[in-house]
Amino acid sequence: MVDIVAAVAAVLLLTLVTMATRVGGVWIMSYVEITPRIEAFLKYMAASVLISIVIPTTLAAAPRIWMAVAAAAIVAAVTRSALSAMLVGAAVAAAMKNLGM
Amino acid sequence: MAAQTTATESAQRPRFTAKGVWRGCVEIAPIAVFLIPFGIAFGVAASAKNIPPEVSVLMSIAIYAGASQFALLDLWYAPLPLATLALTVLAVNARHILLGAALAPWLLQIPVMRRLGALLWLSDANFAYAMSARERGEIDAGVLFGSGIAMWLIWIASTAVGALAGSFLGDLTRFGFDAVMVTYFAAVVVGQWKGAKDLYPWLAAAAVAVIGTYVLPPGWHIIAGALAGGIVGTWRHG
Repeated sequence: MVDIVAAVAAVLLLTLVTMATRVGGVWIMSYVEITPRIEAFLKYMAASVLISIVIPTTLAAAPRIWMAVAAAAIVAAVTRSALSAMLVGAAVAAAMKNLGM
Repeated sequence: MAAQTTATESAQRPRFTAKGVWRGCVEIAPIAVFLIPFGIAFGVAASAKNIPPEVSVLMSIAIYAGASQFALLDLWYAPLPLATLALTVLAVNARHILLGAALAPWLLQIPVMRRLGALLWLSDANFAYAMSARERGEIDAGVLFGSGIAMWLIWIASTAVGALAGSFLGDLTRFGFDAVMVTYFAAVVVGQWKGAKDLYPWLAAAAVAVIGTYVLPPGWHIIAGALAGGIVGTWRHG
């Protein structure tokens, strides 16, 4: 059993670490002149962060999640609404789950 | 005439207003409700590790970063391995540095205290939301703060439910909750597509991230993939 004082102290330490990651990016960029080249880099990086989450997560998941992501991508391309895409994706995932996939 | 010009300029400059905060809160709500099963799952998992509810709720209040909170559960034993815990949480959350950097051209134009407010509640989901809002012409960074606060409150409340009563709720994936975040992120990515010039940077990001899951410590594949996409994009089109 972890002592409550130690637990609270550890949570505070981990909070500082996490806060540093949240503030760190903008803090670093405040020392960098944002040229058009840097801005292009940041724009591609922004989409790439999400791609780097989506692709490995999807590949590692069950086939019903592949179908959910594919459905969401199609809906997003057609409607330009990320929210409708998400709802359709979740519905596909739920339907496939209930079909036993 | 001069006054008119100033008014037009100020209408287009990045800002941070109460209206934006509220808009962020409302617009993230349909996505934030899907955090509930994950918050409950975290509360349940923490209870299973004999972590008292007040500590797991404190984690959700103070750390507020789901993936890292799940990761630290495996390291939660007496005496607490503080260095390992700190390094694990740093590795899993280091992607925030890149999210923040990507927001810098926007956030560096608003006052420093408000900038901090927008950043302290930064998460993958409200970053994705802010990106798609920006795509629609949003200039008010208050949406980041508002959406962050809304998700934070839901995360805290659902952790508490899971920690106190979670074992009675059963498996929530039958409703498709487990697909919500990944489908939402996928949809935001599709919305960012600007044509064939994006193909190689995106492929680079995907390939490096996938390879990274095999060869890098947990969490770092996201950083490697993000940097790869940024570098290829700048190299070809910067």
